[in-house]
Amino acid sequence: MTDSDEHAEILDQLPFFVAGLVDADDEARIARHMATCPDCAGELERWQLISAGLRQLPTPQPSSALFERTRAMVADRLAAKAEQRQNHIVLLLLVLFSWAVTLVTWPVFRFATDGLLSFFDIRFHQIWLVFAIFSAFTWLTGGSAALLLSLRRQDERRSAL
Amino acid sequence: MEIEAAVSQLRRGDLGALSTLIARYQNRLYRYLLRLVRQPAQAEDLFQQTWLRVAEKIRSYDPSRNFEAWLFTLARNLAFDHLRRIRPQSLDHSVGDESDRNAVASPLADSGAGPFDRLLAHERATLLASAIEKLPVTYREVLSLRFEEEMKLEEIATVLSAPLSTVKSRIQRSLEQLRGMLDTGSAEVRK
Repeated sequence: MTDSDEHAEILDQLPFFVAGLVDADDEARIARHMATCPDCAGELERWQLISAGLRQLPTPQPSSALFERTRAMVADRLAAKAEQRQNHIVLLLLVLFSWAVTLVTWPVFRFATDGLLSFFDIRFHQIWLVFAIFSAFTWLTGGSAALLLSLRRQDERRSAL
Repeated sequence: MEIEAAVSQLRRGDLGALSTLIARYQNRLYRYLLRLVRQPAQAEDLFQQTWLRVAEKIRSYDPSRNFEAWLFTLARNLAFDHLRRIRPQSLDHSVGDESDRNAVASPLADSGAGPFDRLLAHERATLLASAIEKLPVTYREVLSLRFEEEMKLEEIATVLSAPLSTVKSRIQRSLEQLRGMLDTGSAEVRK
């Protein structure tokens, strides 16, 4: 390698050198070159001024309330998400429970109302129609209860704020 | 060690550990975000979003990885999404703000030197701050991660999700561009 080649190569390496991105061998090679080349040494000094300036940039301080605000915001959001998750689970359980109640109470309903229906001479040609009406009734009752409960919970949350 | 313990606690659902982590990283994270978006209000908002993301995603965090790099990756993704949303061109170019430049420049002056040296240092610091402001965000970012956060090349590559060679060349290009701006700036001042 000629002197000018090495000179050019060293100059190319200087940004990496001041950024601390050269290995030990290259570092030693650059140091050796600097001892014998005033031009490159001057160039290195200019690069070092820049790297020193970058390292000494002041650290801007966040506002003093940011720490507390962040903690509170994260806690609120996580609580809201947890509640949303809980609501989904409750809704799922409610659906399962409603189906269970519907299926379990159906024979009881049939047994209890059979005499009554005969007394009023009400006849349903399709048993599924009765079942549908019964289901709609039980689900409507359950749904209304769930809605009232959720409205009450919202009110409680609002008054707590 | 303190960080590892806090991360483990947070992974177990102890939200109190988040305070330890926020306290430990608040200045550095805020500085990094401010370097990216340059507006304190936006940096604070992104700071909050980052910690919310940390709390939400901590269970998917792999403890064998570097927490700091993971944290800065989350912050970076949020900041770049934000920049893309508000002004896509800002990812390539930047416009300086006089007050920001002064805020950066004034503490750079060497208070221990004589008046003439202080003046020179102040002028140099002003030029540097002005030049940094004009760099594209991707260059400001690597300079901040390398020189302010003192991250290793591998850590920066993790934060940027980029190969080492890309990071290295980006640092080189950003330094060269900064140097070019400073040379031009110094020449103009001398005129």
